[in-house]
Amino acid sequence: MSRRQQLWAATGAVVVAGVIGLAWLAFPEQSASLLPFLRRDYTWQTIQQRGAWRVGLDPSFPPFEHLDAAGAAVGYDVDLAHALAATWDVRAEIVAMGFDSLPDALKAGKIDSIVSAYPYDDRLTQDFRFSAPYFDAGLRIAVPAASSIRTLTDLTGRQVGVEWGSMGDMIGRRLQREGMTLALRAFETPDALVAALVDDQQVEAILVDNVSLRQAQAAGLPLRAVADPLESVPYVIVMPHQATDLQDKVAISLQLLKERGEMAALEARWFGKPPTEE
Amino acid sequence: MLRNRRRLLLVIFVALAVMLIGVWALRQSLSHVPLGPQQTVHTINPKIGMHTRLTDEVEEQKIKRSLEMVRELGAPWVVEYFPWAYIEGEPGHYNWVHADQVVEHASRQGLTLIARLGFVPEWARPKDTTPLYLDEEHFVDFAKFAAVFVERYRGKVKHVIIWNEPNLALEWGYAPPDAGKYTALLRATYPLIKAAAPEVQVLAGALAPTLAPPGSEFGVDDLVFLQQMYDAGAAAYFDVLAIHAYGWHFDPDSPPDPAVVNFRRTELLRAIMVENGDAAKAAMITEGGWNDHPRWTRAVRPAQRITYTLRAYDIAQQEWPWLDALCLWVFRFPWDQNSYQDYFTFVRTDFEPKPIYTEVQRYAQGATP
Repeated sequence: MSRRQQLWAATGAVVVAGVIGLAWLAFPEQSASLLPFLRRDYTWQTIQQRGAWRVGLDPSFPPFEHLDAAGAAVGYDVDLAHALAATWDVRAEIVAMGFDSLPDALKAGKIDSIVSAYPYDDRLTQDFRFSAPYFDAGLRIAVPAASSIRTLTDLTGRQVGVEWGSMGDMIGRRLQREGMTLALRAFETPDALVAALVDDQQVEAILVDNVSLRQAQAAGLPLRAVADPLESVPYVIVMPHQATDLQDKVAISLQLLKERGEMAALEARWFGKPPTEE
Repeated sequence: MLRNRRRLLLVIFVALAVMLIGVWALRQSLSHVPLGPQQTVHTINPKIGMHTRLTDEVEEQKIKRSLEMVRELGAPWVVEYFPWAYIEGEPGHYNWVHADQVVEHASRQGLTLIARLGFVPEWARPKDTTPLYLDEEHFVDFAKFAAVFVERYRGKVKHVIIWNEPNLALEWGYAPPDAGKYTALLRATYPLIKAAAPEVQVLAGALAPTLAPPGSEFGVDDLVFLQQMYDAGAAAYFDVLAIHAYGWHFDPDSPPDPAVVNFRRTELLRAIMVENGDAAKAAMITEGGWNDHPRWTRAVRPAQRITYTLRAYDIAQQEWPWLDALCLWVFRFPWDQNSYQDYFTFVRTDFEPKPIYTEVQRYAQGATP
């Protein structure tokens, strides 16, 4: 190669490197997706170096997270965080804070992830990455174990209980507006609602959020969910937007925990074993 | 040849012009939302009110639907925010499009609109300050804007609130809250509003209920701040006290206590008015209510929220003759906030009524619980 050609080659390399560099500075997300070798997940690297995954949660929502008598955070999400961290040979470091502070703390790098019964929010996908749902807290139709009700349309002509003012109440009224003939009966608390179904048999079915339903089942009450959720509220793990490696690791580990039966064991630990759904 | 080419160009030009005019006319007709017939509010309690949040609602049809639903609820009063920066982006240059839509639709629905004014344009504040920062040098600019506002909407807007929660550092542009300075703002604004529209009622205060201790960087206790306003001579520069009355997790009959934020804290603010010789003035609650978020520490169960809200409207009507309106936060957001704030609303972003909407509507129609 002549000296002139070498000069051109060097100039070309500098120009290409400069363009890539400038593109990365100006459009880091787009460049990273087009040029995978530029992609670096500092969150995952830092977790590895630190040996700890900093998980933010608001310990005020049992059984997902609350403080025990000694002031330690316990619950479904705490156990899930520890189980995931164990698959990466790091420890989970729980950082407690208010629910509304969690996204800002994640953006500011104070925590690596949120594991706090956090509902999926498609408006935040430009700011954060989300895992697949690990629990759906949405609205269910629940019936006594021996009930013949199996579908939404089976509620026609039935006495259906709701918590007054709740999402179940709102959707029950919506079904009535849409022409379904069901008799809604309102109760003031979730406990009164469940009792009306199981103990007093004042109603034949209830519209109840899945957390309350699973808690009632955990208490040994004979009721089960039927049909698909009337409204879905999926809980997900939230990660920084640049944390592509972490997102992959969470996906793999959630699948692993599921295959090992650890997700089912986790749910049984905090909610009891679910009765068979139809 | 040249003449033909010119004629062809002329035809093309005329055709393009006709097309542009057609597209413009089509857009105008598509974007225009008819005001509809004049409506009136039917209610058994004329003090029922709602704080809407139409500031960032860009679709006129949704502005209209929100105000229709407020009227159908049985609420004659509505509070809405009109950010100064949105309207007077440059000194003396006004964009009234959105404000006109809100005012016209509220008027046509038969609602009495209380306009909250604030939010400083960039030209009226130093660099690197928030839109809630206003220094004394620019008080007169705000006052002029308020005067232009009430003049434009004369006959349709008869109540304006000067600023929001000036006892909080956040709402005072992260400057230390100062009742003397807020009073100076009232002193600058009140005469210009009265000169432009003497019948307009000027609401002051709208203080955040807070137990902030002395010296707090976050704010000043609202009871303390109101007394400081009177000490600074504020009485001569407002007609109605605006009050924020949140119940947090207390029921509406929890007794007033200076060390507690609850609904009847309103009575403590009223007592300060009376002690300062302002008993003849009315008060209005321009924000307040309860929240039914499943996990927010200041929330209540949905059933409690309904019961407390209905009881609060009864208290306003039966026990507080000096209160003209009880406007609760917040009717609807243009989009989900994805926080506890969503659980203050009465209808969802898609306009689906929550049970609390239906229950207040039944109450306003005189139904027994």
